[in-house]
Formats: sequence, C-alpha cells, structure tokens
Amino acid sequence: MMTFIKLGWRNIWRHRRRSLVVISSIGIGVFAMMFSAGFMNGMNMQMVENTISTSLGHIAVHSKGFQENMKLEFNFNADRNMLGKIDRTPRVKAWAPRVKMQAMVRSSESSRGVMIVGIDPGREKNVSKIYDYTRKEDGSHFITGRNTDEILISREMAEKLDLLVGDRLVVMLQDKHNEIIGTGLRVCGLYETPVNSYDRFVVFTGIEKLQSMNGMGANISEISVLLNDKKDVDAVKSSLVAGIDEGSLEILSWKDMAPGLVRSIRLFDTMMFIFFAIIFMTVVFSIANTLIMAIMERFHEIGVMKSIGTGPMRIFFMIIFEAFNLGLIGVVAGIVVGMALNFVLSYTGIDLSLYQESMRVWGTGSVIYPIIRFIDIVNAVIIVFFTTFIAALYPAVKAARIKPLEALHFI
Amino acid sequence: MSIIAIKALVKDYDVNGIAVNAVRGIDMTIDKGEFTAIAGPSGSGKTTLLNIVGGLDYPTSGSVVVGDRDLSGMSSSELSDMRLNNIGFIFQAYNLIPVLSALENVEYILLLQGVSKKERQDRAREILIEVGLEKEISRLPKDMSGGQQQRVAVARAIVSEPEIILADEPTANLDQKTGANLLDLMHELNRKKNITFLFSTHDSMVMERAERLIQLSDGMIASDEKRR
Repeated sequence: MMTFIKLGWRNIWRHRRRSLVVISSIGIGVFAMMFSAGFMNGMNMQMVENTISTSLGHIAVHSKGFQENMKLEFNFNADRNMLGKIDRTPRVKAWAPRVKMQAMVRSSESSRGVMIVGIDPGREKNVSKIYDYTRKEDGSHFITGRNTDEILISREMAEKLDLLVGDRLVVMLQDKHNEIIGTGLRVCGLYETPVNSYDRFVVFTGIEKLQSMNGMGANISEISVLLNDKKDVDAVKSSLVAGIDEGSLEILSWKDMAPGLVRSIRLFDTMMFIFFAIIFMTVVFSIANTLIMAIMERFHEIGVMKSIGTGPMRIFFMIIFEAFNLGLIGVVAGIVVGMALNFVLSYTGIDLSLYQESMRVWGTGSVIYPIIRFIDIVNAVIIVFFTTFIAALYPAVKAARIKPLEALHFI
Repeated sequence: MSIIAIKALVKDYDVNGIAVNAVRGIDMTIDKGEFTAIAGPSGSGKTTLLNIVGGLDYPTSGSVVVGDRDLSGMSSSELSDMRLNNIGFIFQAYNLIPVLSALENVEYILLLQGVSKKERQDRAREILIEVGLEKEISRLPKDMSGGQQQRVAVARAIVSEPEIILADEPTANLDQKTGANLLDLMHELNRKKNITFLFSTHDSMVMERAERLIQLSDGMIASDEKRR
C-alpha cells in the first residue's frame, strides 16, 4: 500500500502548477471555512456572554411558573438556609437576588412599558455587567442602595422619554392587592449594553424599594447565579436542584431561559454548514476535473500497469491516494493560514462599528473576536477528506475500469 | 513439452461496422525454453496473436492454452493474475512507470506479487546488475537512454521469473547496436533461466537471431522455421 501512496504522491507533482491550483482551491475553501466558523463562533459566544452578563446569569432560581409568566404572585422567600446552600455549592462564583415585574414608566413627554428589576447593587455588581455598562460621568452613576429613590434606565430609553440624569419619572405598577400604584423616582444613571432589546425594555431600582412598592415584603422573584465557568452549568444546576428545591422552585440554566438564543445559534450553525457545502461543491468539481485530466493523460500508462498485472482495486486506490494527497496539503495549508488569521483577530477583533445598530439587535457588540474550536478543525478535516473522496470516486472507478488493450493502443 | 498451445485461433474485429479478420485460424505450439520470433508485415496479425496469448484480448473462436490453463474460460481478473505471475511483458515503447526509479519499476511486479520489501529490493537490484544497469538503479526513466529503459523493461519482465516473456517489437525504438545488445541479453537470459521468449517483430536482425521464426501473412501462418 505504501508504494501506491508514494505513487499517488509523486503523480500529483508531475503537473506541479495544476496540482497547486487544486491545492489552493482546497486551501482557500478551508481558510474560508475556518474564518467564517471563527467569526460565527465569536458572534455566538458574544451573543451568549452578553445575554448571560446582562440579564440571565448562568443559572436562575425562580418560583415555579415565573419563567412562563412573570406575575408578581410567583415569588418566594430566599431564607438564610437556601442562600447558604447556594454559597456553599462548588463552582458558584456569585449570586444576586432580584425582584422582576412588568411596569410602566412615564415622563412628562412620553410613557413606555418596561420590566423593572429590583437589585441589590452590591451583589449585582458581581453577577451582571450592568454596573460596567453604566455611564460614570456627567452625574450618571449606578444604584447606590437597596432602598433609594433611584432608577437606572438605558441611554436609549432616556432619549425616548426625553429624560436626563437627575430628572424624575413615574413608575406605575400593580401591587400585590392588584392596585395600580405610582411612585416617582429620580434617574440616577444611564446604561448601555450591547443588547438592543434589553436596553429598550429594562430599568433598575433598589430591591427593597421595589419590594415596598409592590408590597411583597422580603420575597423575591429570582436568584441569579454566576459560575466560574459556563461549562459547569448542567452540573451546578443538578446540585442546586438536589440542594435547595423542595418542589416549589424551578432552577433553570441560561439555555432553559433563552431557548430562542439556543435556536439562533443552531440556525447559525446550520447556515454555516450550507455555506461550507457550497464552498466544497466547487472544490469537488475542481478535484474531479484535475483527476480526470490526469487519468486521460495517463491512460496509456494505467493500461501498462494493468497489462503487467496491477488489479483494478490497486489502480482505484492509487487515484484515491492522489486525491487524498491533494486534500491533505490543501487542508493543512488552509488550517494553518486560517488559524494564524483567527489567532491575530482574536486579539485585535473585527471592528464592525459601521453596523453597530444591526450588531446591537443581535446582541453581539460591534467588535467580534473570532474563536476557533477543536471541533471546527476536525470538521474541516472530515469535510475535506469526504469531499475529496467523493470527487475522486468517479475518476478512480474510471481508471480502474480502463481496458489494458485499449490503453496500450492509446498514445 | 509445449508451454503455449494454440488451436484454430480466430480473431475478428469490428472497425466502424467493417469486419476485420485479424487472425484467421492459427494452429501452433511453443515449447518451453524456445526463443521464437513472429514476423510479418503490419496488419499480419502478430500483435493480435501476442495480445491473445498474453490474456490482453479474447479470441473470437479457438483456444489458447498457456501452461495448463485454457485462457478462453478465464475472467479478466484471472487473466490479470496470470499476467502478473506467469508472463513477463516487454513493450515497444518501454512503458516504464515514469515516477518510479529503475529499481522501483523492477520491484513493482514483486510488490504486486506480495514479496517482502527486503527480498524484492534485493532481487530487483540483482536483476538490474545482471542487465548492466548497476549505475542507473536510482534513476528515473526520463534520465535514462532508450536502450537503458528497455533494459529496465527486460529486468521488470524477468524479475519474477515468469514462464514466458512476450515482447512486442522490443527493438523497434532502438538503434541497431543497442537493439543487438538487447537481443544478446534476452538470448542469454533465455539460455541461463530457460525462459520462453516469444517476439513479434519486423526487424531482420531479430528474425536472424531467433531460434524459431514464424511468418504470418493476412492472419495465417505463412511459414514456420525451426533453426535449432
């Protein structure tokens, strides 16, 4: 077999230029695949990270039914025992209690439906990036206490409501007695996350302030839990289910809470495969064309090989090895160049500030940092060798079927 | 003892709807160790006869027995095995594998036969030395003269020690001196190893050197002369 691998290798260098063209087409295909996979992974990762860091956390503890319907009645009491167990759960980095409910905010100019989130500012800083996303100049600052008359809104919402830092707005919500109550709060700061839908809809105030407004006492809607590593989500979720759930709680991972995001990532992955398929369809024809040309040129030579006793299977594998060699060089070249570019771009990022608004809709941020996963390399290798095999199949069968006598007369 | 027995051999071709009778009823036997030339003008059927004996073509009717095998009942893969194990070929245009060195070209047949690497390298080297190509062992065909390439082809044909060597106009592309040297070599191998040689030729020098000369004309035997 080694001799036929050697024959395949030497044969591809008989027409160096032609082989280099095919190798280049495979290499460019792999490079395009690596680049687009890296870009898409980066986008997906940033989309997930931004969603986790702004709203979801890795894991959330809710009262049963809250995820389906954010009604005030779906609240629970997070006693010391429960919080202690969360604190002691391995791989948990931080947690923060939240009260979440639908409300309406009204300025002198306009009003909007919002989700108001009551937070513990000290703990929230460790769990989400809302603190980091809050402007800290021109008087804008984060919520300063659990029970202050402060409200933190997004820059976009401030523009829509025509509000500045220091202005007052009215929050209207339904309390536990189903009474509509209105409370005036002062805008303490403006934030801006990379997630457009979040900025349009979410405002923050102190947790105790919101609890006193809605009358739910010390109860909360959610405990958001942040882990040291996203990989551990399923394991930690299981520990929390076993440790604190007595039947009335639901403990959800970010995937459970954002099924739309998971579906989007799957959709992107599918789109990538379609893209790869289109790239490699062209590669198939390029390889097949080259091999058919090579076989026609070596028609006589293959006839001689068959006439001196080379079996059809050996001729078949010789051609397959030629294609394999072309694919191998192409895939190595494509991976090396693709990895090098991804490595550089993973530090510099790809700046898409020109499309900032569109990127905010996706929640990715305007600078994408490509990420190459090991599975992407494995996929590239599998796709190239599969494609190469498919491309070589017809020429190899054709070569194996050459009749020696016909070929001997062919000059 | 005959090693090739041909009975009532007929081969017709259809060329663009016109029937061409390439071989028209040949009967002959070739004994082991013979050094036989089949001569005749172009179109007399000598290459067709050689192709059928070598299992590269099927007869229209009649039988060809090589050793104890009747070729008419054999499949293409059985014929391929027979060519590999029992017959050596020498072609007019040398027909070496261009990407393999002289040694690798000779080794190739042994590789197909499943001989171990060391043994096939030793045997191929030995044969190349025997045909006078000690210095050309590592050269590619493109770096050798026509005569040297034909010697490699001879070495390739004999390395597996086949019963028969079929040579289709082996000296046609060589100058007279190189052709004579090649004939000397083949004759010596014929005597030393008792290999049966069957040539097709229209080279008078080959005809003169042959121990048996069969003349073909219009697909039939015109004369059959044993000189020794």
